[in-house]
Amino acid sequence: MLKNGVLKMKNEEQIKKDIETTFGELVKVHIKRRHRIKVDAPKNMTLPILAYLKQRGFHQFTLLTCVDWIKKGMFELVYNLYSLDYNVHVLVSTHINRENESMPTAINIYEMAFDYEREIHEMFGVEFEGHPRLGEFLLEDWKGMPPMRKDFDTRAYVEEKFNVKDLTKELFTRKEQPYRGPGSNG
Amino acid sequence: MKLFNFSQSRSLWMMHFCTGCGAMEMPPTMTSRFDMERFGIIPMATPRQSDLLLITGYLTIKTLKRVVRAYEQMPTPRYVLGFGSCTINGGMYWDSYNVIKKLELYIPVDIYINGCMPRPEAIIDAFLKLREMIAKGEANAWKKYIENYEWYKKNQSEVFDVEKWSIKNEK
Amino acid sequence: MAKIRDFDYEYFIGPQHPGATGNMSYHVWAEGDTIIKIEPNLGYLHRGFEKLTELRHWIKNFPLILRICVPEPDINEVLYAMAIEELNEIDVPERAQYIRIIVLELARLSAYLLYFGGVAGTIGLYTVPQWTIGDRDYILDLFEELTGGRVYHIYQTIGGVRRDIPEGFKERVLKTVDYLEKRLKDYDNLFFQHPIFEKRAKGIGIVDKDAALRFSVTGPNLRAAGVNYDVRKKEPYLIYDRFQFDVPDMYKDGDTYSRVMQRRYEFEESIKIIRQAAADMPEGPVNIKIRNPFEYRVKEGSVYVKLESSKGEYGFYVVSDGGVKPYRLHVRGPSFSHGLQLVRHIAKGTNIADISMILFSLDVCPPDAER
Repeated sequence: MLKNGVLKMKNEEQIKKDIETTFGELVKVHIKRRHRIKVDAPKNMTLPILAYLKQRGFHQFTLLTCVDWIKKGMFELVYNLYSLDYNVHVLVSTHINRENESMPTAINIYEMAFDYEREIHEMFGVEFEGHPRLGEFLLEDWKGMPPMRKDFDTRAYVEEKFNVKDLTKELFTRKEQPYRGPGSNG
Repeated sequence: MKLFNFSQSRSLWMMHFCTGCGAMEMPPTMTSRFDMERFGIIPMATPRQSDLLLITGYLTIKTLKRVVRAYEQMPTPRYVLGFGSCTINGGMYWDSYNVIKKLELYIPVDIYINGCMPRPEAIIDAFLKLREMIAKGEANAWKKYIENYEWYKKNQSEVFDVEKWSIKNEK
Repeated sequence: MAKIRDFDYEYFIGPQHPGATGNMSYHVWAEGDTIIKIEPNLGYLHRGFEKLTELRHWIKNFPLILRICVPEPDINEVLYAMAIEELNEIDVPERAQYIRIIVLELARLSAYLLYFGGVAGTIGLYTVPQWTIGDRDYILDLFEELTGGRVYHIYQTIGGVRRDIPEGFKERVLKTVDYLEKRLKDYDNLFFQHPIFEKRAKGIGIVDKDAALRFSVTGPNLRAAGVNYDVRKKEPYLIYDRFQFDVPDMYKDGDTYSRVMQRRYEFEESIKIIRQAAADMPEGPVNIKIRNPFEYRVKEGSVYVKLESSKGEYGFYVVSDGGVKPYRLHVRGPSFSHGLQLVRHIAKGTNIADISMILFSLDVCPPDAER
């Protein structure tokens, strides 16, 4: 990985320059290493950047992910785009407030965002404006806090939901009288 | 009755419901190298014609609903084989919010195989043990389910809402 | 049957279906036996991996993370190790890199053998799985000798592999690989040139070049659509740039037949790589020393690493806050794009009888879509 840094990064620098000239100073572009560019953009600039990159030939919507920065009270949404011609991944990152802030949907630009946004909505509770079908995706009949948020304590949840008093003890130590199911004397 | 038990034990039809990781060791067990068909065990696609339900690994809550449905459709006598650590105590997923921990709270289990994941030899060994148990008339977990139906239903409904869960939800 | 709405029948494929790996269900609306709409329904295998990794130390995640993708678990381990190594700027010893290449390519061979058997099974050629899965066991035996486990290996670690290869292992790998190459001719006669397979697979489930680019198709499925793209060539990870191998480009139609045949020829290329790696492997250490694994910290930052799995591009987005546990780990499985939006698009207009073959030929593995 280190040896890649020695090679020339013509494509990367070209894209960096183009994004900077098109979108101005509010957008910060870093070349992280060969094949990887990170773009930090404010929320209202994110979708225009995606549209611009799509037009530039970044056809592949590799992933959309969300990072919960609970101390800052922010969600970081990372759109990862890839272009075959440039052989570069551009990671467009934007921050939104943890509570009461929504993000416009990207499905009009990239169709592939459809299921990713459903997943992020279910796992983090991020609202995507204009998405036709946010709702149940992986979980069924889920009540309560979205599970991937940092303040969701999965161990406490498991203890309550599956009626286990002390998780580490109950599941991993052998009881003196092994459980034999209902109707038996054991 | 003895004859019935004996013949039951020699032709176990296994329901082809492979959940989770353990399903990965099923193809080698079924095919030429280990060849479980020599013990009279063949996979069957529908629960209504099978005797043996394999829970091959972890069950998420969503899958458990389907497993209970499939289990209740099977004709008695029916046998359940818990497969891997995940069915015993949750295994690797002991603190996962979406995986059930103890299978025997929701459906009765005749025999467990431990390990993650069990080798084909272990699977065949379990089949042979189960065969012995059936021939002796000891594999009676399905009776427990009928006798303690309320208890099992209560446990199941604690994990998923029974009123809400119906065929409509599968759409 | 009278028409009720604009469709005649509704079908549920899955959650358990012999024609799909793992539990995944598709809700199908059909007119006669032509599919007019299909809607995937996921979540049967969702274990919350991304949450669980946040609760465990960096090194404790190795036994957990590989359970994401069962047919080919090694890619998860290697990728996770690669992410840590990139964040901490660790140089992996040469010998460990060669061992990783051999493990990865053997895993690819075993995943392809499973795939051939599965595709043949969906069109009723039941002899093929008996052969391919039987032969796959020779590879699993090698893994067992190397790591102690048939399916789950837990062999990679930070900065290398856990232990050196046993004596005579290289020779046994080469012997197995020679055997598999010889068997490929038998498979040609049995399956790849079988008239039933050719008739049923040609022109079915077409993913053409435009659709492949539009729906983020990667891996062998993309190459079968006529785009010559391989992560091993374009962005060589580990030491793939040292080996001579081709990316087959004979098939450009993007139908089921091309997808299967593409993998059949890639099978030979993987064998080439294994031979070269075994021949060139230097002596030396196989891992770096870590003083206290439970106090192991990874530098702050985020990284996206990817590699070429047997199913497509597999990527991890890892965020570290400098602590002893990962802050966030997102798994980008190839099945997420192949199994959902792409299937919605290509399954329209196909027959009910073909759908399981199409799904299998895309090599959709639900565990890596749901995690």
